[in-house]
Amino acid sequence: MQIECVTPVAGAPSTIERPAIDESTEVAPDSPWVVLVWNDPINLMSYVTFVLQKLFGYSLQKATELMLDVHYKGKAVVSSGTREKAEMDVFHLHEHGLWATMQKDGGPNNGGSSGGAS
Amino acid sequence: MIRRRRRAVRRTSTGFVLDLDADEIRLVRRLIGEIRQLITDGASDDPKLQRLFPPAYSDDEAGETEYRRLMRDELVASRVAAIDAVESVLAASENPAVPGTNSRVVFDGAGLEALATSLNSVRLVLGSLLGISDENDEPDVPELALYHFLSWMLDGVVEALMTSGS
Repeated sequence: MQIECVTPVAGAPSTIERPAIDESTEVAPDSPWVVLVWNDPINLMSYVTFVLQKLFGYSLQKATELMLDVHYKGKAVVSSGTREKAEMDVFHLHEHGLWATMQKDGGPNNGGSSGGAS
Repeated sequence: MIRRRRRAVRRTSTGFVLDLDADEIRLVRRLIGEIRQLITDGASDDPKLQRLFPPAYSDDEAGETEYRRLMRDELVASRVAAIDAVESVLAASENPAVPGTNSRVVFDGAGLEALATSLNSVRLVLGSLLGISDENDEPDVPELALYHFLSWMLDGVVEALMTSGS
């Protein structure tokens, strides 16, 4: 793929040339989303471990670690990816009765000062 | 004292056998039937159902509205399908010789997973109704025994699923 810089840099030879970012290209993927499972007083620890193994193919050890994070730290990131993938993961977790939400990676205070107007 | 803890599910060469007495099976059938009705008839803002349909977006109202629009019916359908799968196994194993009882109740792996999901749906609704908000501080009500029975049964189902090497 060829990226063409169409902006003429007139009269400013020492200006650092910034590559033109064509928003239609997929050079930078949609910033990833994370899926969180939250602690709740009803779901059984064994059941949560089972669901994490079943849905994401995690080993027993990995699923148990995540479950313990949910239990003791209040939440755990169980998967990540595009918005569409995160939404499907949340749906499957809801299907199994887990308390899951999704959000953009990094949380609400992540970044935002890099100059890109949205 | 060594006492062998009873398990709700036994794995055999033909499948997963439910090790419950007739009263317990009747109870489970009645409960999942009630949940089925609640899910299909209940208002979408019924607080009893809140735990079955949690929000997907915690701070994005537009995203949440869209998620509900797209997924709520799917969630209902999925829950009902799981309950129907369980009910069909229980109905098929009814013992015609002794009304109200079942002969051997045998689930395959998929059926047992449907049982796990369905039992969990019952627990989520019952737990919400009982106001269980802290696992170490349970309300002192008679229904707590029912809740604990469901916990014991689900634990047995999950254990059977996790040791079946699937």
